[in-house]
Amino acid sequence: MCAPGVTGLAIDFESRYKKPAIPVVLREFQEQLTDVGYAKGMPGIRIQYILGPVWGKTGEQLRKAVVYGNNPITGKPVAQEIVDKITKPLTADEKQTGEWKRSLGPATYSGTAAELQKLFLEKRYTDFMPVILPTEALVDEMLKATSHAPDEMLGRMNPGSDAGETWTYTVKTAAISAVMSGAKPEYFPIILAIGSTGQTGVNVSDNGFMAGAVINGDIRDEVGLNYDVGAMGPYAHANTTIGRAWNLLSINGGNCGKVGTTYMGTVGNPMNAINIIIAENEENSPFEPFSVRKGFEKGQNIITLFTGWGVLSAKNWKANVWGTTMDYPKIIKDIFDQQDSMFGTIAVLSPPIANFVKDAGYNTVEDFTAYVTGQSAAKPKAKFGGFGGFGMGSAFTLVVTGASNNNYFSMGGMRPGQSIEIDPWR
Amino acid sequence: MNMRVTIIAALCIGLCCFLSNTVNQPGVQAASVEEPILTVLNPMGTPPPVQLKPMAPRLDTIEGKTIYIVNDGYPGSNILCAEMQKGFSEQFPKTTFVYKDKRGGMGGVDQALWTEMEEKADAMIIPLGH
Repeated sequence: MCAPGVTGLAIDFESRYKKPAIPVVLREFQEQLTDVGYAKGMPGIRIQYILGPVWGKTGEQLRKAVVYGNNPITGKPVAQEIVDKITKPLTADEKQTGEWKRSLGPATYSGTAAELQKLFLEKRYTDFMPVILPTEALVDEMLKATSHAPDEMLGRMNPGSDAGETWTYTVKTAAISAVMSGAKPEYFPIILAIGSTGQTGVNVSDNGFMAGAVINGDIRDEVGLNYDVGAMGPYAHANTTIGRAWNLLSINGGNCGKVGTTYMGTVGNPMNAINIIIAENEENSPFEPFSVRKGFEKGQNIITLFTGWGVLSAKNWKANVWGTTMDYPKIIKDIFDQQDSMFGTIAVLSPPIANFVKDAGYNTVEDFTAYVTGQSAAKPKAKFGGFGGFGMGSAFTLVVTGASNNNYFSMGGMRPGQSIEIDPWR
Repeated sequence: MNMRVTIIAALCIGLCCFLSNTVNQPGVQAASVEEPILTVLNPMGTPPPVQLKPMAPRLDTIEGKTIYIVNDGYPGSNILCAEMQKGFSEQFPKTTFVYKDKRGGMGGVDQALWTEMEEKADAMIIPLGH
């Protein structure tokens, strides 16, 4: 995240060397960087705002728009404003030291249900949808689903990179979010497992990253996770509310998801709404469960977190034009070859497609992965620190979920991260 | 005539029944009684304590000074920094503007460059927050 990044670098430089440092940032980040200045201990950091975009413009265009252009907020020349920021004496506020005092409000709020829904919305405690109001009784009921103490610190979370502070939250904070999401107490160990990682469900990036998870083990049936018709869709209580609880914990416990400050998705990502919570259809998959391929025992209750762009029906690619006969392994490989490497490629296969792959002679996911990725060695592999500092490798991930009512599947960019055991959070 | 009276009476009875059913619905009835007051928990986590850092003193003037313009590596930042170096030198000819590429990723400190600037720079300009 460049705007908070350069602001942080400027603050670091001023603090270390006692010399003025002026970050130059697009105007759209003004609100966010006000927060960043406070969070990094220098609320007065003098930031120069310019007219964007910069990326994609020629030198001549930038010369006109920026070097000889005006600050789009003040209307004054950029060059002179930078000089003023370097030379204008500091104000009393800018010289302040000591601890920054702030209030996050009282421990409880009282009012009618309608008043509290309005207050939660105004304070941006919600995802803009009505919530189950977290009374002490409901939160206590949720806490009964775990042996962990309410005041145990569960995790640390920030919106991603330098864009916001890293906050801490307790088991009780997670229980409040779980209640608000509508989750049942039996889902709570899964929500705690997610919260323990510190991975946000709502990344700040202007790219519009989403988050997801794959759940394996007997807990899928125990809590009623859907891995049949509509497995990735919203019409399943457990999948939906677990994903929503992750987001609400991110928003309230982890300092994420505030539009303009800790959420900057340029066009947004609808998959941020409840994330993608996938329970793998282990029973109808011809392959070992995803968690087993990650090194866990079969039947162990494991959740693996993902981040990326999300997924889309594989029908969107020309490689998957419908015909009388379909070579699914080749279709998947052809789609893989069209993917950017930033988050690698994920194939979310329905059981029929997975079986087509197996019947084509790929007895394991490892065999199939070698076929899919092996012939694409000529494809440039982005390295971290390359163009724009992006590029995280070109991995291929395969999971199986959904029903067998048609030969449909989805693909996209999602990279697996941490895998966590769920049972220790019971 | 008797038929008309019968029809009107039937309609009146039907209307009364409809109104009676409507006010007996839970949502409508709730409006006529005082809504309960709930107490709910604040859902926020805990931010870290923040110590305010003093800002650096400003320069009296930029004339005769050296100002580094640092490219953080974001796409287009190199072009912008080069244009700044040229354009600012034209606008402020008594100041030396030095263009430098920073290593270490967009958000990382380039210690070698930082040390160089500690020694040689009077101020730093660092694009780009895209």
